[in-house]
Amino acid sequence: MSRVILRQLSLLIITLILLSVLSFSLTYGFPGDPVTNSSGISAEHPTYEQVRETRGFDRSIPVQYVRYVQHLARGDWGVSLQDAQPVWEEFRLRFPATLELTFLSMGLALLLGPPLGIIAAMNYKRPIDHAITALSLSGYSIPVFWFAQLSILIFAVVLEWFPIAGQINPLLDVPPVTGAILIDLFYADASIRGVAFQSAIQHLILPVLVLALVPLVLLIRLTRNAMIDVNRKKFMKGAYARGLSTTEVMMTHGIPNAMQPVTRQIGTAFSILMTNTLITEVIFSWPGLGNWLVRSIYERDYPVIQGGLVLLATLILLFNIFISLIHAWRYPQVRQEIYAQS
Amino acid sequence: MRNHDLYYEERHPSPLEQVWIDFKRNPLAMGALYILCFILFLSILGPLIAPYGSNQQFADSISLQPAWSEAGDLRFLLGTDELGRDMLSRLIHGARYTFGLPLLVVCLAAIVGMFIGAAAALTAGVKSSTLKHLLDVLLSIPSLLLALVIVAILGPGLMNALFAIGLALIPQFLHVTRNAVVDELKKDYVVASKLNGVSALYLMVRVVLPNSVKVLVVQLTIGLSAAILDIAALGFLRLGAQPPAPEWGSMLAQSLEVAYNSPWVMALPGLALFITLISVNIVGETLRSALQHRMGR
Repeated sequence: MSRVILRQLSLLIITLILLSVLSFSLTYGFPGDPVTNSSGISAEHPTYEQVRETRGFDRSIPVQYVRYVQHLARGDWGVSLQDAQPVWEEFRLRFPATLELTFLSMGLALLLGPPLGIIAAMNYKRPIDHAITALSLSGYSIPVFWFAQLSILIFAVVLEWFPIAGQINPLLDVPPVTGAILIDLFYADASIRGVAFQSAIQHLILPVLVLALVPLVLLIRLTRNAMIDVNRKKFMKGAYARGLSTTEVMMTHGIPNAMQPVTRQIGTAFSILMTNTLITEVIFSWPGLGNWLVRSIYERDYPVIQGGLVLLATLILLFNIFISLIHAWRYPQVRQEIYAQS
Repeated sequence: MRNHDLYYEERHPSPLEQVWIDFKRNPLAMGALYILCFILFLSILGPLIAPYGSNQQFADSISLQPAWSEAGDLRFLLGTDELGRDMLSRLIHGARYTFGLPLLVVCLAAIVGMFIGAAAALTAGVKSSTLKHLLDVLLSIPSLLLALVIVAILGPGLMNALFAIGLALIPQFLHVTRNAVVDELKKDYVVASKLNGVSALYLMVRVVLPNSVKVLVVQLTIGLSAAILDIAALGFLRLGAQPPAPEWGSMLAQSLEVAYNSPWVMALPGLALFITLISVNIVGETLRSALQHRMGR
């Protein structure tokens, strides 16, 4: 296991270095002045010369790269071209809001996806299976922005069950401390906490349900296919032959084995979910990273785009490595494959 | 009736033929394929079939309901939008933007990715390992996010969005081709050809590629589905096709303001997108399971 961890860690470091090179090259890739692109300080600004010097733009490209990484590590990500706010500060408030949506949806998908997939596989080629498969195929094909619009129209505008957009009722005074609304509630005034909690949950339900759909159907499909494969294996037949009940066979032999390929794919589901979160935030006016990033692209706010890419890619990378560690820890045969390779 | 099977002869259909035989057995998949052919037909000949131009306005009939409702007009089968443009014509014109162009881009990306992937499979050592790690980075970033960054560099616009999607898709094709070719190279029949002394080019084009083409076809459908979704998403975020163009995603973005008063303006482009995507996915899924079925035997 320690070899697996070392391998993943070295992979992480190499990938992070490559990512920083990619992000640094954007400084020159974006049109305009490289100093402005990476720091957000325009040429007319009084501190321009100073910034130019500390970021090493009077020296060679390798020096500039090292300075760039130093700035990244220090949390000095430049200032936004739109409102001259420090990019890092802005991310610190918006990123948790995005994470809140993402993790709630991922949790919901993980809670419902595998059981539904198993039910479908156990009723292979029966009506329940066909219904679940049809649901998962259409869920997979529905564009998330259209689905979000439809659900707003139906559940928020026509039925008025949920609010249309935003994080919480603007009348309630919940100061943004972390950015994630459910955590912010604890810092809010105790007298409004109950009402605020209710309002926050109401605002959360629709975006979380919309976002959970895609990873959910992905997990259903994966689990179903894996479970069908496992059901054909001889050891399953053997377990039945020894007289174990269906529940026992499934619990001790079937499900643990079927979860192996599913665990590996959770990372992919997370990447797709992350992209969908960016789009959905725009529709629900969620004060998160995606909303801000898309606006920055219209406004050509390069320091923000650069920072956003680094942040999102790092998150996806960390999550993927975390999943592959769990995968290797939980399933010895995966470790075996890795050892055999090296 | 003459009996042609006079002598017993074992037929060996090519890998693609095998998949096609399996594919034809599934009526749902055939239906999806017919729908795709119809959409392809629309994206080639759409402007000739559409009753009106994509931006032709009718000042006397603004936000008209579809023809089957009380207030509808038979001239406009699917109603008109808030600027008095015929929805049906716009949808037909839009097929070219949302299905035709992504299809073209995916094919180009597939060709480029296949070439580099095949070349990468033949090399080994540091170069190959570097490429693999670089690919891992690129593959860990979702294609839409990558496309967003490329659009940020180039600026919004349909052509830039297409270019960005193409670039973002190449790593996937590269990866799949490389893996398929590496798997195939280990097999005995390839070794036999090598022993026959064929050139590297012949080995690649005539021996290995025909047998790894199945995986590539499946990847093509996955790529097409991703490309359609991405172009529509970029259009929706107003970073792809710009407003007067009848691209389905950007039509959805425009419909946001009028969705409550005239829901059909929002429902129809989304439905068109949904039908296209589900057809592509059904075809892809059937191909994939046909392939697995073949390999399982």
